[in-house]
Amino acid sequence: MQPRPDITSLVAGVCVAALGVLLLLDAVVAFDLRFAVLAPAACAAIGAILLASGLTRPR
Amino acid sequence: MNETTTQELPPEPSEPRRLVRARSGRVIGGVCAGLGRYFNVDPIIFRIGAVVLAFVGGAGLLAYVAALLLVPAEGSPSAVEGAPAARNRWLVIGGVIVLLLVTWPFLLGGGLLLAGLLIPFTLLVAAGVLVWWFVSGEGPAGDAGDVAKRAALGIGILLVCGLIAIGGAWVAAAGGETVVAIVVIAAGAAILAGAFVRPVRWLVLPALALALSAGTVSAAGIDLDGGVGDRDYRPASAADLRDQYELGMGELVVDLRRTDLPPGDVPLELDLGIGEARVVVPDDVCVATDAQVGVGEARTFDLHNEGVDLDLDDRPDAAPDATRLLVKADVGVGSLRIGQSGTDLDFDRGHFDFGRSDDDLGRNSACAA
Repeated sequence: MQPRPDITSLVAGVCVAALGVLLLLDAVVAFDLRFAVLAPAACAAIGAILLASGLTRPR
Repeated sequence: MNETTTQELPPEPSEPRRLVRARSGRVIGGVCAGLGRYFNVDPIIFRIGAVVLAFVGGAGLLAYVAALLLVPAEGSPSAVEGAPAARNRWLVIGGVIVLLLVTWPFLLGGGLLLAGLLIPFTLLVAAGVLVWWFVSGEGPAGDAGDVAKRAALGIGILLVCGLIAIGGAWVAAAGGETVVAIVVIAAGAAILAGAFVRPVRWLVLPALALALSAGTVSAAGIDLDGGVGDRDYRPASAADLRDQYELGMGELVVDLRRTDLPPGDVPLELDLGIGEARVVVPDDVCVATDAQVGVGEARTFDLHNEGVDLDLDDRPDAAPDATRLLVKADVGVGSLRIGQSGTDLDFDRGHFDFGRSDDDLGRNSACAA
């Protein structure tokens, strides 16, 4: 039986990669990364990771 | 006939109730749950009190961390024996000293200076515990020594993340944003793959630190091209004007008061990473500004804007036969000031200012009404 994936790592990996893609878009194409985009993206990423960690941690 | 005599035996001395950090019903470290059990009160009362006190000078946070270190966990040897283990004795002594130091300013009117020092330290310890909790899954359970060790490990991770963030910001500011982006994506892919094979949670915080520091540099538009230091330019004529005045970090002054500027539009482009950019213009020049400031302030004559992601777009027409200076400025973190000077032309650069108050940079009076 396949072991269940670690949900926190799953969510964190997606969030970190998404932030990296945002940086790459800013660096290589005409996408201007501003705080108005970065701040919500960072909060969403950190919030999602903490939520995943909190919801999957055994009590 | 047997006669039985009942003799009352003295009651056996009962064990004193011990305050312990509860295992069941805990949210963080079991402090409030333990207090609730000890006083036979709903622990939510203590939780609300701790949160409220945390926002009133941070006393709730200090008290919680102190309890985390001093009150034994339920089932731990020190909780059973009632005495702290020898190896934790120094922690108990330290905790008492910290508590005395905390209560002294509040109770004896010693000022908030000490609390101001202790609260950041407590926040650091709390952050260390939380970081280690996230990375290893080991919460603030166990005795004081275990909690202190985890807090120290968590603080160590935070320090490493801080160094990574500084390095990432520097590389991104030096033009290596693409490299940082690729490293962040690779880290995300590794974390993602680890979810199915073997979790690498320790990689999450460094990757986030790298991504957010580089993102901050990009969002602010910080570019260290152009070097570090102070630059002072005083071109003599329009022909001496550079295509772009660029500085990575420092103070950039472009003084046009002695510059012979022709009628019509004259472009002037500034690019500053971190610091202060000042453009000083003669009274008979109309200034049109298209400026972006990542974090800081932009001030041109009577216009003032401050905050993040600033866009200052002010393009008045010039009066007939007047010079219109088209300023295009990009400042990452810092300030941009454009105005007329009230000081002598031969000002000393080391003491340069506009010769006016901060709120008065002259009037953009050469523009058409």
